[in-house]
Amino acid sequence: MRNSGVVLILTFIAKLISQAAGVSAPDKPRLTSCRSPEKETFTCWWEPGDDGGLPTTYALYYRLENSETVYECPDYRTAGENSCFFNKNDTSLWINYNITVVATNALGKNISDPVEVDVAYIVQPNTPENVTAVVVDDQGPFVRVSWEKPRTADTRSGWITLLYQLRVKQEKDKEWEEYDAGMQKYYNVFSLHPDKEFMVQVRCKPDHGFWSEWTQPTYVKMPDYIPRERSLWIIITIFSIFIILILTWTLNVKRNSVKLCLLPPVPGPKIKGFDKQLLKSGKSEEVFSSLVIQGFPPTIGYDDLLVEYLEVYDNEEQELVLDSKDLSEVCMKSKSLSDCDSGRGSCDSRTLLLEKCMEGREGSGSDQHQYSQHGETSCTSTESSECQGLEPGSPESSDGRVKTWPVVFSSPQPHHHYQVEAVKPVYHSVPEILNRSSPHAMPTNYHQLHHQDIPQQEGRFSKPACRHSQSYNQFNLDGLDTPAPGVSPSRSLEYVEVQRVNPENMLLLRPLSDPNREPEGSDYAGEDYSKVKEVTSNNILLLQRDTYHQCVDDYSQDLDSQAGQCTTQQPPHPCKPVIYQSNSGMPQEGMRVMGNGYVDSTVLMPSY
Amino acid sequence: MTQGSRLYFAVAVLMCAFVTINGVVLNDLLERASQLSDKLHSLSTSLTNDLDSHFPPVGRAMMPRPSMCHTSSLQIPNDKDQALKVPEDELLSLARSLLLAWSDPLALLSSEASSLAHPEHNTINSKTKELQDNINSLEAGLEHVFNKMGSTSDNLSSLPFYINSLGQDKTSQLVNFHFLLSCFRRDSHKIDSFLKVLRCRAAKKRPEMC
Repeated sequence: MRNSGVVLILTFIAKLISQAAGVSAPDKPRLTSCRSPEKETFTCWWEPGDDGGLPTTYALYYRLENSETVYECPDYRTAGENSCFFNKNDTSLWINYNITVVATNALGKNISDPVEVDVAYIVQPNTPENVTAVVVDDQGPFVRVSWEKPRTADTRSGWITLLYQLRVKQEKDKEWEEYDAGMQKYYNVFSLHPDKEFMVQVRCKPDHGFWSEWTQPTYVKMPDYIPRERSLWIIITIFSIFIILILTWTLNVKRNSVKLCLLPPVPGPKIKGFDKQLLKSGKSEEVFSSLVIQGFPPTIGYDDLLVEYLEVYDNEEQELVLDSKDLSEVCMKSKSLSDCDSGRGSCDSRTLLLEKCMEGREGSGSDQHQYSQHGETSCTSTESSECQGLEPGSPESSDGRVKTWPVVFSSPQPHHHYQVEAVKPVYHSVPEILNRSSPHAMPTNYHQLHHQDIPQQEGRFSKPACRHSQSYNQFNLDGLDTPAPGVSPSRSLEYVEVQRVNPENMLLLRPLSDPNREPEGSDYAGEDYSKVKEVTSNNILLLQRDTYHQCVDDYSQDLDSQAGQCTTQQPPHPCKPVIYQSNSGMPQEGMRVMGNGYVDSTVLMPSY
Repeated sequence: MTQGSRLYFAVAVLMCAFVTINGVVLNDLLERASQLSDKLHSLSTSLTNDLDSHFPPVGRAMMPRPSMCHTSSLQIPNDKDQALKVPEDELLSLARSLLLAWSDPLALLSSEASSLAHPEHNTINSKTKELQDNINSLEAGLEHVFNKMGSTSDNLSSLPFYINSLGQDKTSQLVNFHFLLSCFRRDSHKIDSFLKVLRCRAAKKRPEMC
């Protein structure tokens, strides 16, 4: 008891003395790491603590997991200071090592914390060896880096499997460029800048373990070269060709729409209301009917200008040659007022009269009035000049002109409605108004016109002048029948067609009902049409009528001064058909015969 | 005579071809198997790290000793010299035995992973499932390898696993989970090593890989 107490006191005093002297037991050492480079041996390092001022010894002790036997480190030197090297014989895999380090000095010892180590988990290989970097000039200069495995690692048997990694950078760069090489021992580094020096380092790692240290840098200098970059141009060329092919194919597929886009079709002229199909079918009247604006031009008041005048067209020279002054005035007026078309029935473009109208103007004085619409050709008796044109002495009795006449009559269709008595009306132009006091000769001798046609005709043609002429020309001569003594009512109205003008300046008419008939001569189909007997000096066409020649003769004598009708059976003279109208016969006011022989057709005009 | 020699020649050629083809096939099979085992070990290592991130210090004290793993009874080579001396078929059977021993424990781990009292139990759960799949694949692959190797005897060691539950309380569940996982991690390393040795032994035509 006393001994233990003495020992205690002595130990206490020793500690105090050692503390006063500055020495103490060593501090606890600390195991820093244990590593196995090849999975066959391993090394542990510790960190000594404060040695307490006294020389301290360290000892490492270990214990395997399944036994209690404590072994001491077999080799303290191989691995250096404060290390313990376990050789192959002492190394076992997949067993936990319980390792402790004991620091001992004169004053005491200290034991480190135990560390559990399984060798399988602490594998860290040595660095790769013999790192070489060579510039290869094949296909563009690149660097081929090659190395060898760390000497100690046995990869050949498969005991350890190593994965390699390398990094490259220029001296001045901060960042490394890292590449994984897998299990290979070489690597090709591309895209290095020419004429620059590079550093290369390699390291390795086992399949399950720690990375080794980097090797010492290997320097390599890239040669100075101009990159050909041929492959890039080849790629660009191929790509652009491909794009072009695709574009071409697309354009080809869509060539129609492309054509439409680049060369848009020029729009054709479009006339509103114009139906091409209708035109093609030949029904020209209906085609143009849609173009006609109803009520245009305004007809009101227009009539006043034209209605009073019989429009007579002749050649230029003879136009002024009129019986009376008024005639010339009229002529001038009509001429001035109207063009070729006006009032002559040439407003009906359908008929040839329009064209012939032009000819008529230029032609010499054939006394043709062409009222195209009505199919009348009238040489107004008021204008003697016209009639003169037809006289034998007239310079030009153009056949061509006469030929236009039939055109006037050529379209029987519009004349359907003319048939009041189911008889074809006979059109004739009235150049002048006869003094209808004695209408007896008239009805038979003169063609009757239905003024009923007027409205319909009017509706069809836009030119009031035509209408005028129409209305003017269309008289209902029915009324003429009655006063004519012995003259049978001209019940039948026929179309007369001017067939031709014979050399004697005779207008040969023939009825439309019988186109084959030659009215020349005496074989009349009936008694309802009249032949042109002669043209008087007044440029009046004298109509001739067979059956009533006697009367006509009588009549003609009377009216020779004013209007001419040839109603004799003499060889037909080119006489213009004359419209005679008696006042009584007119359902309307009828035509007023003016003093100068002109027919005032204003009264005839239906109100528009 | 000529016909007989011809027949013999044909048979020889066929056998050569068969062996050659087989060899190639074996090599590829072992390559694939070692890849799988590598993945297996990597998964277990990451799982262990996940568990360690939030492991209670007291649990470390409670941790059973590694010698208490159910596969510790299996005699395996512990170092390279020993391992390189083991014949291929024995190495293969060792790998297969170990693999077989872990089918049931992994199933248990998989079932307990979802209820683990750990902040990262979701990740742990998914990784455990992945482990299970990999083990099944490797098992099948090694069976093919075994068939290809043409070993006569199939001496697989039986390493039974009788534990049905990891523990009742959260801590013991976690501790036991960690312990089991550590055992598996080690065993997966063994399997990987053995298979890679086998691979290099078979890859005589590809020395650059070994």
